[in-house]
Amino acid sequence: MNRPTTADLTLLVPELILVGMALVLILAARRIQTAPIALVGTVVAALAAAAASIWVVPSEGASGFGGMITVDGYSRFFEVLIAASLALAALLSAKTLDRDRIPRAEYHVLLLLASTGMMLAVSSLDLLTLYLGVELMTLCTIVLVGIQVENPASNEAAVKYFLIASFASALLLFGISLTYGVTGTTDFAGIASALRGRGSDPLLIAAMGLVAAGLAFKIAAVPFHAWAPDAYQGATAPVAAFLAAGSKAAGLAAVGRVALVAFDSEARTLSAILAGLAGLSIVVASIIALSQTDMKRLLAYSSIAHAGYALLGLIAGGPEGASATMTYACFYVFMTLGAFGVVIALGERGESVDGYQGLAAQRPGTAALMLIFLLALTGIPPTAGFAAKFVVIQSAVRADHVPLAVLAVVCSVVTAFVYMRIAVQMYMKEPKQAAPARLPLTVSAALAVTALVTLIGGISPGSLAPWTVPP
Amino acid sequence: MIDYPVLTVTTFLPLAGAALVLFLGSERFVRWIALATTLATLVVAAPLYWRFDKGSSALQFVEAAEWIPDWGIAYAMGVDGISLPFIFLASVLSVLCVAASWTSVRTRLREFHVALLVAETAMIGLFAASNLFLFFVFWELIVIPVFLLIGVWGGPGRVYASIKFLIFTLAGSVLMLVGIIALQRLCGTLDLEALAGAAIEPGHQYWLFAAFLAAFAVKVPMFPVHTWLPNAHTEAPTAGSVILAAILLKMGAYGFLRVSLPILPDAVQRFLVPMLVVSVVAIVYGAYVTLTQTDVKRLIAYSSVSHMGFVTLGIFTLRQAGVEGAILQMINHGILSAALFLCVGMVYERTHTREIADYGGLAKAAPVYSTLLALFCLAAAGFPGLNSFVGEFLIIGGAFETRFWLGAVAIWGVALGTTYLVWLYYRVAMGKTNPGLAGLALELDAREVAILAPLALLAVVLGLYPEWILSYLHAPVAELLAGGGAP
Repeated sequence: MNRPTTADLTLLVPELILVGMALVLILAARRIQTAPIALVGTVVAALAAAAASIWVVPSEGASGFGGMITVDGYSRFFEVLIAASLALAALLSAKTLDRDRIPRAEYHVLLLLASTGMMLAVSSLDLLTLYLGVELMTLCTIVLVGIQVENPASNEAAVKYFLIASFASALLLFGISLTYGVTGTTDFAGIASALRGRGSDPLLIAAMGLVAAGLAFKIAAVPFHAWAPDAYQGATAPVAAFLAAGSKAAGLAAVGRVALVAFDSEARTLSAILAGLAGLSIVVASIIALSQTDMKRLLAYSSIAHAGYALLGLIAGGPEGASATMTYACFYVFMTLGAFGVVIALGERGESVDGYQGLAAQRPGTAALMLIFLLALTGIPPTAGFAAKFVVIQSAVRADHVPLAVLAVVCSVVTAFVYMRIAVQMYMKEPKQAAPARLPLTVSAALAVTALVTLIGGISPGSLAPWTVPP
Repeated sequence: MIDYPVLTVTTFLPLAGAALVLFLGSERFVRWIALATTLATLVVAAPLYWRFDKGSSALQFVEAAEWIPDWGIAYAMGVDGISLPFIFLASVLSVLCVAASWTSVRTRLREFHVALLVAETAMIGLFAASNLFLFFVFWELIVIPVFLLIGVWGGPGRVYASIKFLIFTLAGSVLMLVGIIALQRLCGTLDLEALAGAAIEPGHQYWLFAAFLAAFAVKVPMFPVHTWLPNAHTEAPTAGSVILAAILLKMGAYGFLRVSLPILPDAVQRFLVPMLVVSVVAIVYGAYVTLTQTDVKRLIAYSSVSHMGFVTLGIFTLRQAGVEGAILQMINHGILSAALFLCVGMVYERTHTREIADYGGLAKAAPVYSTLLALFCLAAAGFPGLNSFVGEFLIIGGAFETRFWLGAVAIWGVALGTTYLVWLYYRVAMGKTNPGLAGLALELDAREVAILAPLALLAVVLGLYPEWILSYLHAPVAELLAGGGAP
């Protein structure tokens, strides 16, 4: 293989910006523990990466590094989404970092590097680069989960997450090696052409199943979801938000490209596997969420259920299905970050369901925002959550997966109960605790952005359509 | 003449009012702004009534715009003779709701009026929408304000009632969502007029009918999914009960008229008998349950089950008389249930009890109130010369035309209806004045008389001159039944 050319490197400008900022922060780590430089730097880097991925990176469909990395509409969409969740997660972290005395520089470096891994994963055209990207993301997020070194809950969560994640990585690697064994390549296009016109064989099914299982860990789909509630609960709320938003979006993007490009000719088998994962995720997570009293756990189960909904588009397959999943992923990221944003804004009180009692009487604005996010997560118009749900159900029905669609909407009634329980606490109970402090500016900014996207996305979801380019 | 998109302006003006209330600094003018908004909505809707062509069955005041072209969804509005009376009803009742809450709602004024105005947008929008997607958006939009109205400003059992309402309604509507998506896949459009002409394979129609039935039956509510209604109506504040009884219940029946009958005629034929049976069960069972109630508000709530049974019975007779009667009866029930809930609310503000046993002899203590209550009770019982009589007469006529036994059972329902309403009036207003009421100023004040007067006027006018509404219905109902619904 040749040395990377300038053209190759231009493809990686967004990733390079993030890595560059990470290096700067590491070098300056000792000087910036108290000033908000790390936050500003991270947000600026995220915005610059998003801008670079839209404007600097060359035209459609370019690929480089010997066909391992690409820049197309699909990767661009997810890169911008990941950059957005990085910026929002950084904004949401500001207050928590002070409170829990977490080292600022290291924290932001990890956020930046995790995002780099996500971006690499969404733009890879080869199972190996995909693996590298996904693992970079996972390693960084494991450290982020355990970053409260003196907090045993945080350590426990990190250890659990680490053990399960390494198991998942092993499965993914095993799947990749089996795929290599069957097709003789790890390149997506190569796999697709090797599989074309060739009958299904058990080895191939095993390979696909293992790859799907490995990636299912990353998006926390049932039955590979067990780490998520513990990790979310043990981590600080902003880290949980980042896990729920960014790493889920990246995982979905990876599943999408693998399913629609590499294993396209085996779409029927793969979509059966994905349908199982999606159906289980939706049913199991909706039901378990009913009994949660900890907000981070509740939102963890919510994110598991949403992973199932998002998969519906990929199960339907085809460009329309991929666009549906992309729409879902985008709106999901903003509404889930919004909901976590309110949790973070309320501090200690926000982390248990009981803490929301009487919030509407004390802080009507915050309660109204939370209501919007809860309605969106439930999927009620005119919020983006409804548009997202509509488009994935539409693609499932178009692909004749009507029973799965019915199952999904019936479970959305169950989740309505989960989310509306919080609305009941906020609006229909008397306050028992002192009013929460005013929202810090950074959190307000993040909430404003997420609420705007949640509302505008619901009223005019079509404006997203030009961006949801299937792989 | 000023030209503006009447339907869009009428629909979204309350929403604009809600935004104004939301961002207003002080709570002092909230009531006035809400009142002004609802009155302005009534005014901007005026062209709908004088420029409407009653002879045509086509949609009028049509507005169309691109909305989400990639998903094949357009923004489309239009009204015909069936939907127009409901827009009128919704905009009139919204004014009355604001007025009726003037003294009874004292907490969280701002949120209350925002919820009320958002609900008005959803109600008007639902009846104005001519695209099924838009229809669904408004259908769901009304759920949240009503959920909050019940849960925040309601009675002692409000939390349970509001959650029950929410879960029941959502459970129905999500299945409708799948039905809508399936319709779009089968027909390639969600425009209601275009769908009415589409030929759908009967096998598909049955499933679609079932999916839509889930949503409509819960909203009507039909037996046996009516159990959310007594809780929700009883616990809701007066304005909430009015919106629920007068408009929300009509949404389901309106859905049958807009979707089931014109788009799924084969399925309607197939499920005709079960639907008719369920309707008469609702009439009779609902009436018997109503008889046993001891809570005034709960009694009126249960009476809705029976009255809405008449409406679905009329719709599924598939006869001109029956369907016209059903629609007229929807309007009548809207007026009367609103009036009765307002009456209960007004007296509850003074006595703080809803037990029938705590009342008695109001006729002496509050003659004006008792006269109006008598008028509304008689009207609801189907007294000739008042509005319900015509509707019930037409429905039962249609029922006798289709199947004799249906008419016979329905007549029994009317008799029971008279019984529970007259008995209610007897226990509340006649006899000796209940000692517990001594010393209370029970008579209505001018504001309350002004709220009830328009409803009383409507009840009398529609009783003497039902053709006022019926003239709007002749053409569209004939078109509806000619479209394949009639046997």
